[in-house]
Amino acid sequence: MDEAFKQVTDSLGELLDSFYPAAIVGNTVVGLTVYIVYFILAMYAMLRVISLYEKKMEGTLVPHGVFANIVDACMQFVANDLCRGVLGETWTKHLPFLGTVFFVVLFGNYIGMLPTWKPGTGSTGITGAVAFASFVYFIGVGVKKKGAWGYIKSLAPKDVMAPIALLVWVIEVFSTFLRLITLAVRLFCNMFAGHLVMGVFALMCSAFVNPMLQQFTLANLGTGAMSVLWMLMLLIIYAVELIVCFVQAYVFALLTAVYVKLAESDEE
Amino acid sequence: MTTIFGYGICVLGAALGISIAAYGATTSMARQPEVKGNLFTVFILASAFIEALCLIGFVVAIMSM
Repeated sequence: MDEAFKQVTDSLGELLDSFYPAAIVGNTVVGLTVYIVYFILAMYAMLRVISLYEKKMEGTLVPHGVFANIVDACMQFVANDLCRGVLGETWTKHLPFLGTVFFVVLFGNYIGMLPTWKPGTGSTGITGAVAFASFVYFIGVGVKKKGAWGYIKSLAPKDVMAPIALLVWVIEVFSTFLRLITLAVRLFCNMFAGHLVMGVFALMCSAFVNPMLQQFTLANLGTGAMSVLWMLMLLIIYAVELIVCFVQAYVFALLTAVYVKLAESDEE
Repeated sequence: MTTIFGYGICVLGAALGISIAAYGATTSMARQPEVKGNLFTVFILASAFIEALCLIGFVVAIMSM
């Protein structure tokens, strides 16, 4: 059993290397990495699903069939829970953007749940791009509502002494830029950590069953039986990851909605 | 070895944070079931903020190993 554990720790570095966004075309600065290819695949799947949904809903307002109902439920969820719940009156204006963010992240996450596939949102480059889009959007909403100077001024609290207001303004500007980083890093870390844990359990599963396949003794059979346990753990983690994928897409869109709400609100 | 201890402390903090949030959310829901929807959103939001710190710790620990 000690040998099996040693084998796992030895191959851990290899597992970590497999998460590195290796470039297929060009290099990692300009070029296509593995994650971008999967992201493009995810986007293609998303467009197919939405166009199929549109075709099914042609000339009717009531969704028919399982597929149309599932997509419709997701749409209703985004519209009611996310947009109307957080934004209030102006929700129709922001629904297109928030819906796009939600579905892009959702499909990017779920494509990684197919065995041996990588998540489209599994590198900081891609999550950073999506986070940058929402950053530009909520800054844009604030600038449109209050004007460029008005938005910059609105970050400082009103009715406060000048030196303290300046200090708070500096902190607010800092935290506004920090939102960009936290949005990107949160999604990346969740995907990376989840897939790493699944990878470790898969490694343990194979490392424990290997000695039994090479030489069939009673001791090796006991070690091999352990791998059933690891397999069970792998399946449990997989089920948890299926939920995490959805929750992370929800959190990403929800935080964008909250930031839009903050940029729009008059008080602060 | 020290990185693993560091990560353990990091998880401890995150666990305490999320448990306090869950405690608050469940007690408030029990007292006032009509605010369930709003509370759930706030709870998920708070958990996401706390969890992000824990995950940053995880990635730092992996990178320094």
